[in-house]
Amino acid sequence: MEWIILGVLGFWLVASALGAVFVRNPVHSILFFLSSVIAISALFLSLGAELLAGLQLIIYAVAIVVFYVLVITTIPWEKVKRFEGIYKKELLFSLPVLSVSLLIMGYMVYRGELAQPVNLVKDNVRDLGKTLFTSYLFPFEVASVILLVAMIGAILLGRKED
Amino acid sequence: MAEFGIALIATLIKVGVLVGVVLGVSAYLTWFERKLAGHIQARLGPNVVGPFGLLQPLADAIKLATKEPIVPKGADVPVFYLAIAMALVPSLLLFSVIPFGPEFTLFGKEIKPLISDVNIGILIVFAMGSLAVYGTIFSGWASNSKYAFIGSLRKASVIIAYEVVLGFAVLGVILLAGTISTVEIVESQIKSGVWYILYQPVAFVLFLFCMLAESGRVPFDIQEAEAELVTGYNVEYGGMKFGAFPLAEWYLNVIALSAIAVILFFGGWSGPAIFGAFSPYIWFLLKTFSLVFFVLWLHWTLPRFQAKDITEIAWKIMLPLALANLIVTAVVVYVLGGK
Repeated sequence: MEWIILGVLGFWLVASALGAVFVRNPVHSILFFLSSVIAISALFLSLGAELLAGLQLIIYAVAIVVFYVLVITTIPWEKVKRFEGIYKKELLFSLPVLSVSLLIMGYMVYRGELAQPVNLVKDNVRDLGKTLFTSYLFPFEVASVILLVAMIGAILLGRKED
Repeated sequence: MAEFGIALIATLIKVGVLVGVVLGVSAYLTWFERKLAGHIQARLGPNVVGPFGLLQPLADAIKLATKEPIVPKGADVPVFYLAIAMALVPSLLLFSVIPFGPEFTLFGKEIKPLISDVNIGILIVFAMGSLAVYGTIFSGWASNSKYAFIGSLRKASVIIAYEVVLGFAVLGVILLAGTISTVEIVESQIKSGVWYILYQPVAFVLFLFCMLAESGRVPFDIQEAEAELVTGYNVEYGGMKFGAFPLAEWYLNVIALSAIAVILFFGGWSGPAIFGAFSPYIWFLLKTFSLVFFVLWLHWTLPRFQAKDITEIAWKIMLPLALANLIVTAVVVYVLGGK
């Protein structure tokens, strides 16, 4: 039974990721991206990682994508409709990188072992919070400082006056 | 396999009952709102179709469904239709984590009167409340109309601001309860015998403001300010396509968020058992609909804020208040040795 759900969600995820890459209109592309983010969250839910699913929805599907949406929807229509062509040079450069990383991933899947849960957690919300704020407190705070710096930089770049 | 099948059928029945009841109640809420508005404005309200105008929602539905469908010139047709679904689906999904009462046994099986008992119920509420913003933004954008687009951008700024305040306001309750599952929050209130509104009055007031802002009710209805924007983001929609937006925003969201407020602050289904076996459900519905009534009452009493005031209030007054409330709650819970 789980395989059917996994298959449907996986197909949904791959289809929307491909759509996000190949669709010409930027707004349609962001809609496909949104759909793929929701599909990832559904995958988390089906795997029992409820907190990750919720955070995926709140942080990615809402907080981050909504700003892309706001920026893209305020582009004038003439620019939205203009098609800039396929990026041939970039495709040529990215092909070797992509194929090497695909090979590495394929090798790892073929030879490696899938991670097994060590001991089942009952309350993953509480455990995740504890881990984040005790063992991983320093990386967590560093990440927030990086985000703060990025925000200040964006405000500086966005200033029009002086 | 049999277990899975039974669970699937039980869930499907629950979904069917819930969607039917919620949509029916929303339809009659329009009648109730118009009667109430008439009473507040010293007029009669609908009274022609059926006794007391009770058939008016049906007449409205037939009228909306039989209208000619119009798609504006230059609209992005797939997104134009998709926006309706993006407005309706999150509002309906909000109901999936609302527990309407305690567990009961039917045909020897334990049945919970909620659709999915995930342990992140409140997170789902936040997520769905914010996902609703896409319906507004894309309906405004796909209509290719300036009024609609201004309305949708206004709504987006309101939702972004108030979603943050909502999160920090509710964190106080989560700290007290020590859980983010909707069922467990209610159970911890029943166990301690105190509704959280007594401990968290500031959070409740902030939640009430956020509820009005998220559902686009007065005084936060700048996205459809009739005087400036015609009706804002849904101006280009006609017929039942138009009807879906107020249905999702004004009725489904208000009912769902009122139910969430009851769960967080008013002890969910708790109350003295004076109605016999059904008393938890009756208490839950009574509390929810008193809040809904309060929202409707505000809608027909207050004037509208200015667009810039709304976001300023959110970021400069409500967010600091919510943060202060959170810090005080955290310190008190820590000192008293909470969970």
